[in-house]
Amino acid sequence: MSSSSVHRLLQRSVGLLHVLAIAIAVLVLVSPVWAQDEIKIGVVMPITGREAKPGQYQREGIELAIKQINDGGGILIKSREKKLPIKEVFYDDGSDQSRSAGMAERAMSSDGVVAVIGGYSTALGEAESVMPDRYQTPWITPGAGATTTFSRGYEFVFGTLSPIDLLGYTTAQYLGTLVDKGKLGKGLKIALALENTDHGVEYGRGIDNWNKEHPGYFNVVFSEKFELGATDFSGLLQKVKNAHADIFLADAHLQDYITMHRQYIQSGMYHQMISYGARGPEADARKALGAATDYIFAGIWWSSKLAYPQVKKFNEDYQAFTGHAPDSWYPATAYDAMRVLAQAIEHAGSLDKTAIRDQLRKTELKNSILPGQVIRFGKNGQIQGSFVIVQNKPDDKVDIVFPLDAATGESVAPKPKAH
Amino acid sequence: MSAADFLNLFIAAVLLAGVYAAMSVGMTIIYGVMKIVNLAHAGFLMLGAYFVFEAYDRFKIDPLLGALLAFPVFFFIGMGVHWLLVRRIATSDQPTLTSLLLLFGVWLVLQNLGYLIWGNSDRAILTPRTLSSLEIGPISFPTVRLAVFVVAVASLVGLEFVLHKTWFGRSVRALMQNKEAGQIVGVNVSRTAQIAFGVGIAFAGAAGGLLAMLYSFNPDFGASFQLRAFVIIVLGGLESFGGVAVGSLILALAETFVILILPASYQPAIAFSLLVVALIVLPEGIAGLWAKRRRWA
Repeated sequence: MSSSSVHRLLQRSVGLLHVLAIAIAVLVLVSPVWAQDEIKIGVVMPITGREAKPGQYQREGIELAIKQINDGGGILIKSREKKLPIKEVFYDDGSDQSRSAGMAERAMSSDGVVAVIGGYSTALGEAESVMPDRYQTPWITPGAGATTTFSRGYEFVFGTLSPIDLLGYTTAQYLGTLVDKGKLGKGLKIALALENTDHGVEYGRGIDNWNKEHPGYFNVVFSEKFELGATDFSGLLQKVKNAHADIFLADAHLQDYITMHRQYIQSGMYHQMISYGARGPEADARKALGAATDYIFAGIWWSSKLAYPQVKKFNEDYQAFTGHAPDSWYPATAYDAMRVLAQAIEHAGSLDKTAIRDQLRKTELKNSILPGQVIRFGKNGQIQGSFVIVQNKPDDKVDIVFPLDAATGESVAPKPKAH
Repeated sequence: MSAADFLNLFIAAVLLAGVYAAMSVGMTIIYGVMKIVNLAHAGFLMLGAYFVFEAYDRFKIDPLLGALLAFPVFFFIGMGVHWLLVRRIATSDQPTLTSLLLLFGVWLVLQNLGYLIWGNSDRAILTPRTLSSLEIGPISFPTVRLAVFVVAVASLVGLEFVLHKTWFGRSVRALMQNKEAGQIVGVNVSRTAQIAFGVGIAFAGAAGGLLAMLYSFNPDFGASFQLRAFVIIVLGGLESFGGVAVGSLILALAETFVILILPASYQPAIAFSLLVVALIVLPEGIAGLWAKRRRWA
C-alpha cells in the first residue's frame, strides 16, 4: 500500500471518529429527556443473604404496586401534562450493610432515580439512611422500624413501618388486657431476651414504658441481649429458666426464633405466654417447628386477616401476581410505601426531588391496607400506625387477637402446657 | 443454679462440641495435607444441608441416614473439585493467596448455585425426633443433638482408625509431617492430596447434613460455623484431629458457661477472644502443647 493511500485511509478514519463522537455526544445529551419519559424508582432490597426472604416479599409488594399503577397508565405529571410509567431499578444488597449503603448511593448519585424504596431490616435501613439527605433524594423504608433511623433530623428519610418501641408497648398492652379480663394474673414476672440491635433495644423500651405507665401489672425480672445468628442458646435459656418468669418475650429474627424455640422446647421449658416479637406466624417457622409454634403470639404491622375491603383486594391481587398468598406483613408495608410515593409524586406535579419530599411530608394515603387505614408521616418521617397482635392456633390457623375491634378469634391464655 | 441445671448445661456444651467437631474436621484434613485453608467449607456445609433436606423431603430418607449418604456423594464431589480446580494451584508449605482466593470464589459460586436451585426460603427438617428429649432423671438429652454427637464421635474414631491402620492414612500422616520425606518413601503426593481433599469435603457435606437437623438454613448458611471452625482448628493445632476434638470442647464449654456470667451478646466475642489468645499464647495449638510436654518428659 502506497503512503498516499495510507494517508487517505487515516483521514477517513479520523472523519468517521468525528461523526461517531458527535453521535455519542448527541445521545448523551438527549438521553435524560428520554429517561424522563418514565419515572425511575430505585428499590434496594436483600434477596440474597440472611434477610433474603423478607426482602423478596417486600420487593413483591413494591412490584405489585408498580404494576397496578402502570396498568392504570402511570402517574400523572402536571408539568408534562401526561401520565408517565414507573420504571423500577432494582439492587440486591445481599443483606450486607455496606453494600446496602453503596447501592442506595449508586441509585441516588448516578442512576438518576427520583426516589428510593429500601432498607429491610433495621440494620440495613440504618446503613442506607445516611444517603438520602446527602443526595437530596427521597427515601422510604418499608422494613426499618427503629426510631434511631428517624431521630437524626434527616429531611429526606421516611418510613412506613411503625416504631419498634410501639411494638413492645402494644405487646405489653395486649398482655395487660388479658390481665384485665382475668385470663392472666396480676403481677406476673416477665423474662426478656432481646436481639443485640436497635430493634431489640427499642422493643424492650416499649415494654418498659407500658409497665411504667401501668404499675403492678408485670415485673421484668430478666432482660438480656443476644447476638444475631447465634449457634446455641442453651446458656441464655438457662438464665431465663433461672429467672422463674411467668411470661417469656423475645425479640428475634426468623432464624434465631427457629433455633431458640427448638432449644426452648427441647429443654422442656414452659411459660404462660410466649412471643418472639414480630416473628411467629411465618410459614417457614411453622414448617420448621410444627405444632410447637401453636399459641405463640406476635406483634405485627399487618395481617391478611384485617377486615378492610382494600386488604381483601390486596390479598387477591398479591396471590394472582406472585402465585402465593401473603403469609406475613412484609409485602404490605412495601406495597403502601410505593403507593404513598406515587401519590406524593402526583401531588408534586413534577419529578423534582425536593417537591416530592415536600409532598411526602404532608400527603395522606387514605385507603392504606395497614391497620388504621391511613398513612401519614410524622415530623420525623416515620408513620405512627397501630400494630395487630396475632396468635398461632392449631392446624396452621392464625387469629388476630388484638385490638379487640379487629379480632378474628379469642386469645388462648395462659398457653396450654402441652405446648 | 441447681446441680441438675449445671449438669444439663454441661451436657448441652458437650453435645454442641460434637456439632463443632463434626464441622471442623474436614477443614483440618485439607489443611494438614495440602496447607490450604478451605474457604469453600461453608459452601459445602450448605450443600450438605440441602442434600439431606432433599433426601428427606423427596424420598423420606431419615436425615441421619441422609448425612451418612452425603459422605460418599461429597467425597466424589470433592475429588472432582480437586481435579478440576485445586490441583492447578502451586503447592506450598504455607497457605497461598491464590488458594484462598480460589476457594473463596468456589464458596461464592456454591452460594449462588444454592440461590438458583433452592431460592431464598429458609428450610428446616422437622422429624418426630426434632423437638424430643431423652429424659434420664433430672437430666435431659435433646435427641437430635445426641444423635449428631454420636455420629460426630463415631466419625472421628473412624477417621483415627483410617489414619493409623491403612496405607492411605499413613500416607496422609506422612504428608502432614514432612511432604518431601513422604515422597522419598513412595507416597503418591497428588493422589493422596486428591483423596484427602475428597475426604475433607465428604466430612463437610456430612456435617452440613447433621447441622440441617438442628438449624434452619438457606444458601447463605454456614458462614458462622466456618468462623468457629477456624477458631477450633487454630485452638486444636492446625493439623491435629485430637486437637479438633479438644478445641471443639473448649469452645463449646466457653460459649455455654461464660455467658452465665457475661451477657449472651458476648458469645461471638468469646470465640474470637479464644482465637486471639490461641494465636498469641499457643501458636501451635493444644497439639503443640502436648508435643512440647512429651519432649520435656
